Amino acid sequence: MKAAVVFKCTRNPVDAKVKLDGTVSWEGVKLAATDDDPAAMQIAKAIAGSDEIIAISIGDGDPAWAAARGAARTILVADAYAEAEASRTGALLAACVRRAPELEVVVLGDSSWDFALVSALIGQLGWPALAGVTAAEPAPEGLKVTRKVGNIRQVLTVAVPVVLAAAAGEEEKNPPGMRDILQARKKPLEKLKAADLDPALSAAETVGFRYPDTPSARLIDGKDPQAACVELLAALRADGAL
Amino acid sequence: MLTTARALGGEVVACVAGPASLAESMQALSFDRIIHWQVAEDLPAEVCAAEIAARAIREAPQAVLASDAASARVILGQAAAALKAAIVASVRSLARKDGRIIVSRATAEGKVLEDIAVPGAAAVIYDGDDMDAPAAVTAATETIPVTSGQMKVVETLAAAEGAGLLTALRVIGVGMGLGSKENLSAVEELATALNAAIACTLPVCNDMRWLADHNVVGSSHSQIAPDLYIAAGISGAPNHLSGVRDAKITVAVNNDPEARIFKFCDYGIVGDMHEIVPALTAALQ
Ligand SMILES: Cc1cc2nc3c(=O)[nH]c(=O)nc-3n(C[C@H](O)[C@H](O)[C@H](O)COP(=O)(O)OP(=O)(O)OC[C@H]3O[C@@H](n4cnc5c(N)ncnc54)[C@H](O)[C@@H]3O)c2cc1C
Ligand SMILES: Cc1cc2nc3c(=O)[nH]c(=O)nc-3n(C[C@H](O)[C@H](O)[C@H](O)COP(=O)(O)OP(=O)(O)OC[C@H]3O[C@@H](n4cnc5c(N)ncnc54)[C@H](O)[C@@H]3O)c2cc1C
Repeated sequence: MKAAVVFKCTRNPVDAKVKLDGTVSWEGVKLAATDDDPAAMQIAKAIAGSDEIIAISIGDGDPAWAAARGAARTILVADAYAEAEASRTGALLAACVRRAPELEVVVLGDSSWDFALVSALIGQLGWPALAGVTAAEPAPEGLKVTRKVGNIRQVLTVAVPVVLAAAAGEEEKNPPGMRDILQARKKPLEKLKAADLDPALSAAETVGFRYPDTPSARLIDGKDPQAACVELLAALRADGAL
Repeated sequence: MLTTARALGGEVVACVAGPASLAESMQALSFDRIIHWQVAEDLPAEVCAAEIAARAIREAPQAVLASDAASARVILGQAAAALKAAIVASVRSLARKDGRIIVSRATAEGKVLEDIAVPGAAAVIYDGDDMDAPAAVTAATETIPVTSGQMKVVETLAAAEGAGLLTALRVIGVGMGLGSKENLSAVEELATALNAAIACTLPVCNDMRWLADHNVVGSSHSQIAPDLYIAAGISGAPNHLSGVRDAKITVAVNNDPEARIFKFCDYGIVGDMHEIVPALTAALQ
């Protein structure tokens, strides 16, 4: 089955620099593979079987990330960057998918780093989609997909074309070694310009930053464990939690 | 979500895709109108996505809000594209200013709120608190039956129920700060004194094997909503905290005053859990 994997399209929230005045700067932050990107790769492999996997990404992260994990070739919109408002990034990624009309499945990491990107790609592509996906395999109907909804696992059959947003259960088990990474850099890499794919810029703009007014936790010094516990229990009783 | 939508003024319509019971629970809230896509039991809510998007064009809302539930995010994406709306996640509030919608979203791990001005419609994934918004009158409900689609649920597997964790009113979660399996006995004594279930972080199960898979709480494991969650020796990684975000009161015990969890709890004791846990048991007795 013809599958594409979309990878490294978001910023890791840990990398955000909060300046003294409360503004956030992403200067120098490269787009990174999320915890869920390796799961997207695994699922794309399970679906593709012996077919080639096309990798799609944007920005300035390592473009060979997916190639090192088995993708045959990579399409990269190098001058695009993840934005707080995701519709443009979604449109760019959808335009890349349309360049490969044979594609039947698009898999990407279903990351809470930016849920908006997942929704934006789904909407811009206009394909049916499932999120929270933990496994998928070819089936007579198209695909058999397992996904997690809260504490329940659902097994579904879905027709193609379809977008799957993959959720990882743990850290990547066997990351590629140096040899795979070096070989991946020799695989075909098609570099595109954002303006050629979708000239429309997002009309949204950041107009300010604020500190949230959520009350901070009441911290109790635990140097005297007995006293700390008495204080905590009194507070919990006052809240009706005990 | 409803209160946030109200901030923009105008009618607030609930688009519900799911069983009749879900629509009924929405009728208890103060929506102006409810459109209910009554999805057949063997279909996922996503089968309505295209239809809801088409309806969105007719209804022409200024904003569409969805929870971060997997199906809600898929439906939101289709509606956003249909409306040519801006799309933003981790949204805490909406406001209107100079003809634009100001979308406030949490960024930098929730340390800061970023205000984004959107000239047209906004589609947002809401991640703030749900406030009670009980209905005075039952909103008019339009029901649209959905009986077929390109997806089908063929099997539903409930999570392995570990020692009543999913329904426990009080839960003690232990992390790598536990140090060794022997130290579990002190936690078990506290659990008995509190009538609490025991949960843990992923490495406590996967790397250390101190507890089992059904004890793990977090994004990739169980989601729990106890009245009281006590996190002992847990750093507060997003993957863990997303499993306890519906807990009413969270207490953290950690010996690192800079631990991330202290930003996400109601009460924190800065101290050694090997001292605090037995002291807590004693104080309860
Ligand atoms: C449109 C909407 C607005 C709400 N507003 C409020 C509010 O203002 N105050 C309040 O106290 N509670 C509100 N709730 C209810 C609250 O968010 C419930 O806790 C939640 O819907 C159910 O969450 P869950 O984790 O129990 O179930 P989940 O597993 O998240 O969902 C159960 C079912 O509901 C469907 N569903 C979930 N979210 C949505 C959605 N946004 N739209 C359509 N289907 C959905 C899922 O696809 C699934 O079929 C609202 C719910 C909805 C659907
Ligand atoms: C795809 C993926 C999915 C994941 N899913 C989940 C999930 O569902 N659930 C989950 O929990 N994790 C999950 N994780 C792992 C998660 O990212 C964190 O690595 C994990 O939650 C950290 O566990 P911890 O807090 O126990 O350990 P650590 O981060 O090592 O923290 C230990 C804490 O204990 C404190 N401590 C040490 N000694 C003491 C002492 N004597 N007294 C008090 N405090 C002490 C330290 O200060 C520290 O804060 C997932 C990871 C990935 C990549």
